[in-house]
Amino acid sequence: MDWKLLWKFLLILTLCGYSLLTLIVVIGGIHNIIDMFRDLTSQSETSS
Amino acid sequence: MDHTRTGCRRLRHMTIFSTNFNTIDWVIVMTYICIPVVIGVLVRKYVKQLSDFIVAGRSLRLFIAIATLTGTELGLVTVMYNAELGFKHGLSAFHVALIEALCVLAVGLTGFIVYKLRQLRIMTIPEFYEKRFGRDVRIIGGTILALGGILNMGLFLQAGARFMMGVTGYSNPAGLKIFMSVMLIMVLVYTVLGGMVSVVINDFVQFTVLSVGMLIGSFFILKTIGWKTLFEIPQSVNANAWLNPVAEGSGFGSIYVIFMVILTLSAATLWQSGTLRALAAKTPKTAKRLYLWSTVSYMARRVIPMLWGIGAFIFFSQTPKFIAAFTGPESLNSQFGMPLFLAKVLPSGFLGILTAGMLAAFMSTHDSYLLSWSSVITQDIIAPIRRNRLSDRTRLLTTRIFIVVIGLFLLIWGLWFEAPVSLWNYMAVTGTIYLAGAFTVVGAGLYWKKASKAGALIALFAGLLAILGIGPWTKGDDVSWYLSDKFIGVMTFVVAFLGMVVGSLLFPDKNRETEA
Repeated sequence: MDWKLLWKFLLILTLCGYSLLTLIVVIGGIHNIIDMFRDLTSQSETSS
Repeated sequence: MDHTRTGCRRLRHMTIFSTNFNTIDWVIVMTYICIPVVIGVLVRKYVKQLSDFIVAGRSLRLFIAIATLTGTELGLVTVMYNAELGFKHGLSAFHVALIEALCVLAVGLTGFIVYKLRQLRIMTIPEFYEKRFGRDVRIIGGTILALGGILNMGLFLQAGARFMMGVTGYSNPAGLKIFMSVMLIMVLVYTVLGGMVSVVINDFVQFTVLSVGMLIGSFFILKTIGWKTLFEIPQSVNANAWLNPVAEGSGFGSIYVIFMVILTLSAATLWQSGTLRALAAKTPKTAKRLYLWSTVSYMARRVIPMLWGIGAFIFFSQTPKFIAAFTGPESLNSQFGMPLFLAKVLPSGFLGILTAGMLAAFMSTHDSYLLSWSSVITQDIIAPIRRNRLSDRTRLLTTRIFIVVIGLFLLIWGLWFEAPVSLWNYMAVTGTIYLAGAFTVVGAGLYWKKASKAGALIALFAGLLAILGIGPWTKGDDVSWYLSDKFIGVMTFVVAFLGMVVGSLLFPDKNRETEA
């Protein structure tokens, strides 16, 4: 088994994949936070 | 003679502790650490009831859930123990990342355990114990969970303080105490104030800063070391062991690999702080998708710090004076390798941003863990003992009190206890105290009709065997295989599993027998 090749592949996959994930999560997360506060505000209004 | 020796050592340490960390970096760090406290105060008005405090009112959507899961599972301690693995074992350490990523992917594809747990709308794992096996099992399971969990985070403060000492170049022995105390106070303030809502927002901010910082940091490291040099074997190590985790001399071996498979699969599904995110997901489907997406971040949380640790070893091994600081009877702890390396190769300014990100990561992990274990004590030990006669207000207060009590324990434990083998091995073995029982009990409870209360209790108590794995007999190069922490870890899972099967078959639940 070529361990060196496997670890090279894993490192490249991680660096590329994580860069892409960070971009997607930051953009999507901002929208999610706005929605979460909307939910919590409406819940507290309903309970009061 | 002694003075000369001390002087030489000090000179050597002064060299190894030299850093690019300047005033501008301190300003960046100080400004950044105020942000979580401000957020904690601002979101306090949204914490009206216990479920808001513990699972953010079950309002987490996919992307914020990914950020917050990563924020929790990618802490400074994660960076430290993975970097230490890379520093000590080289490229072969990557096998732990690969195994964990495959286990998380499997959970994401199948929804194994997490999908069903989210459907049950529970807040903690021991709540499931009660639903399936009764109140006694919940109290005992909650106690073992809290014990394993608190021991598991016992060295967080110590590792965090070592990172700060390494990066800032503060070599005074008193630095450990000072950094540990200051960091603990910071975390306690905003965890007690905000609960899960502030934790979620902070995790998101910290995910962003840390992820960008880690990617840019990796770029600098690859630029310093060079891609080709990274995959060349350093002269001072065994070439086969540097690459192959099951090769003799790698420090891992087949038993270790088996331990990692069982441990990472059970941790992916049932580690309380991570599972709390799945339980807080808006729907069971979101909980499942959360794991699928998180495969990449779980891999990154290990591979990137390991890369830094490997880079540190290659960098120091090129200078005999530096590598000498890590060998011999008075050597520096190998956890110092990565931060001391970063302090030398990253430029001032960026070093401040990365340190702020790491400090934020430290806080985001710490807050989630404090919240997890204190809510387990309140919800799963005290409340069931009081037969659930506690108001939401009392539960909130109790949870906050335990956050402070656990924090103080961490300070004391971190000051006198040293991990016998490595930081990660300590984390793995203490995690097993809870995971061996929990994985067996929840797995059998969800998927095996014959699982009984007696079997569950035996499996939970079997988890306590893992405490043997942090004893002094596990330390050293000539440890017998049956006394090694990895063997004790695997055997704990085996005993818990057998205990559940044998206990359930010999002592079936009477109610279920009647139903059948």
